Amino acid sequence: MKLLITAMITTALAATAPLAHAEVAVIVAANASVSPSQSEVANIFLGKNNSLKGIDQKGWNPTKEKFYSMLTNKSESQLKSYWSGLVFTGKGQPPQSVDDDASVVATVGSEANRIGYVDKAAVNNKVKVLFTLP
Amino acid sequence: MALEKGEYRFNGFGTAGLTHLGGEDQGRSFGISGQTTDAWRGDQLSKLGGQLQYGLTDTLSLTVQTTLKPEQDTWKANLEWAYLSWGATEGLTLRAGRLRSPIYMYSETLDVGLTQPWLRLPDEVYSQVQLSNYEGGDILYNLPIPIGMLVFQAAGGQAVNRNLFALDELHDIDYKKIFAANASLTTDDFGMLRVGYAEADIDTNLTASVIDPVGTPANIDFLNLHRQKGKFTSIGYQYDNGTWVSSDEWTRNNTKGDQQGNVDAFYLMGGRRFGDALIHLTYAQLDEDNGRQSSWTYGVNYNLAPNIVLKSEYKRVDTRGNGYRGTFVESAQETFDHAAFAASNGAMGTPARNFDGDIVSVGVNFVF
Repeated sequence: MKLLITAMITTALAATAPLAHAEVAVIVAANASVSPSQSEVANIFLGKNNSLKGIDQKGWNPTKEKFYSMLTNKSESQLKSYWSGLVFTGKGQPPQSVDDDASVVATVGSEANRIGYVDKAAVNNKVKVLFTLP
Repeated sequence: MALEKGEYRFNGFGTAGLTHLGGEDQGRSFGISGQTTDAWRGDQLSKLGGQLQYGLTDTLSLTVQTTLKPEQDTWKANLEWAYLSWGATEGLTLRAGRLRSPIYMYSETLDVGLTQPWLRLPDEVYSQVQLSNYEGGDILYNLPIPIGMLVFQAAGGQAVNRNLFALDELHDIDYKKIFAANASLTTDDFGMLRVGYAEADIDTNLTASVIDPVGTPANIDFLNLHRQKGKFTSIGYQYDNGTWVSSDEWTRNNTKGDQQGNVDAFYLMGGRRFGDALIHLTYAQLDEDNGRQSSWTYGVNYNLAPNIVLKSEYKRVDTRGNGYRGTFVESAQETFDHAAFAASNGAMGTPARNFDGDIVSVGVNFVF
């Protein structure tokens, strides 16, 4: 009985774990030869570094929340305020954004000068992982 | 991220806000264009703006921004930005056309309330220079450094036939030979520091009709500036680590021929976020030759959505000194009566006095 309960708990944890603790992978094309640091990646997505083209995710999902809060310390509304300061001075526009993890992987994988972030589970052989966010 | 050839973006912003001045005599007004009064009014804070950016080539783009906002008692459409921008190299950008004048730390986003912690910018600092744009050009240079980014800006041009709100009326003013330069250091961990300087040759003639002490109408020249140099210095700092927020600015304004020395002003603001709410406190001060205005502002902001912030503020403002009015508005007649009182040792006119008030503001800032 005890074994059964342990097994049930383990199964339940395993089922919820990917949702609660999904790692975010920062990716570039498999053939890309760049390896920007975490702070360089943050600057690319904040429009301060144009060495690579950031591919963002549309909407606000847990992957996006983890990426921005860990790399830039910004919430969704703080990010909006930040970009308003650049957009309305004509100094910048937010990165291009696509629908979901699969679209990010496809867009980033097709050109060597692009960078994106996805749930680690979405990574395939078209892209390589620069680093992951736990 | 620059726009590519043929790409365009339309963005908008606005504020819908009400503000009210309590604790002063009936009809007294306050603020940069005198629209804060003892009536709940929406026309000091409210505004609407739209901006179009279009990529002419991969490095050349056009930006046009228009606003609809009140000027004294009339709503007015304004062309705020209309410029061509050329990304010459990775860090160097040249712009020409109508540009926002880089005077204060928040000059370039003066009307975009979402980029500021307050609903009303500190009046002590932000009511000094009323010029918001000019015709000319500027150079922007971004230099990445190990701790963040250095940005240099140098601008030149002129702004003629603009309006100056003074003595409770609008007057013509010209700013020629405008030169401005500033440097800002944005660090990854320690906030942003900006140092700026701007100067211009100013032409204006503040003439108004008054009734003199014997009851005769008279035209009085209150101030006549002809190519007088105005100089403005600003040092600003912003910090935001996601939880703690600070915004601070010190300014010095000196206009030759205006019969007074340096006008110094500053504000210090600190705040803390609790989830979607921000609670903040600001002290602001304005010092002129004949007195001081100081204020405390208590504010609570709440993010209704990522692009909509509800803001409420209570500002307590006092002036002290020799009949000093601060940013409370006096008419030409009142100003004349005070001068007559002083010149006649109290035999004529009325004495100048100090003011105080409680200003409550409520509204939303939004972008789309």
